[in-house]
Amino acid sequence: MAVPKRKMSRSNTRSRRSQWKASVPNLVKTVENGRVTYSLPHQAKVVTDSAGTELFLEYKGRKVADV
Amino acid sequence: MPTPPKGPRLGGGPAHERLMLANLSASLFEHKRITTTVTKAKRLRPFAERMVTFAKRGDLSSRRRVLAQIRDKSVVHELFTDIATAVENREGGYTRITKIGNRKGDNAPMAVIELIMDPVSPKQATVAEAEAAAKSAAPAPVAESADSPESADSGESADSADSAPSAESADETKDEQSEAADAAEAPAAETAETADAEATEAEAADAQAPEAKEDESDGKA
Repeated sequence: MAVPKRKMSRSNTRSRRSQWKASVPNLVKTVENGRVTYSLPHQAKVVTDSAGTELFLEYKGRKVADV
Repeated sequence: MPTPPKGPRLGGGPAHERLMLANLSASLFEHKRITTTVTKAKRLRPFAERMVTFAKRGDLSSRRRVLAQIRDKSVVHELFTDIATAVENREGGYTRITKIGNRKGDNAPMAVIELIMDPVSPKQATVAEAEAAAKSAAPAPVAESADSPESADSGESADSADSAPSAESADETKDEQSEAADAAEAPAAETAETADAEATEAEAADAQAPEAKEDESDGKA
């Protein structure tokens, strides 16, 4: 098995890692019950009750799956 | 016929992909709704819908063609009896894929693929039933007034004409509508009671049901 001959320098490691970028998700803005919410498009959303307990996943008024 | 998929096959090779599609579709027909990755769901959709098309044809050769893919006979039987009758009026589009976000372990995008067993387009069905009910309800007030002329006021006949089509539109089959055309008084109350079980028209039927019963009692008195 091929192995590196030398230890990679801290500079090279950090230069490589500097290219790791996080991408911004494209969110859609909707108004639900008078509040503005941002959510991922074309994806089921989690329905919660008033206490914040997660109930099930919903998409376009249809129950899709349990959480 | 869907276009052949581009890109890498599922699993380790063509045989593995065939087996995966067969097993996924068998699970889908058994459970009616399965959770899998988006890639597998998209690849499964044309395969499973072709199986449903064979099931709708329903003859022996198509059953053997399905059995060549899905080896479980009980699943194939369920496909040819339950699922084929449920999607009888549906012209393609037997499955629905809904994305549900990424999986926790490997961050794979997941989806729920499910069979659509609902009746086709309840809006169109209710419009057609309302038109048919309006035709059948037109001679109904005349028959009521002929039966009981002393109690058949103009207001009551107008109420019954309003309530009868709405109660009749709650049911789905045309056979019951023909019965309602024969005897407009009794089936109106019956269909109003049966409409409680149905989710879509339940509220409208509940609102109209007491009126229909009052009309019936007035008509008999």
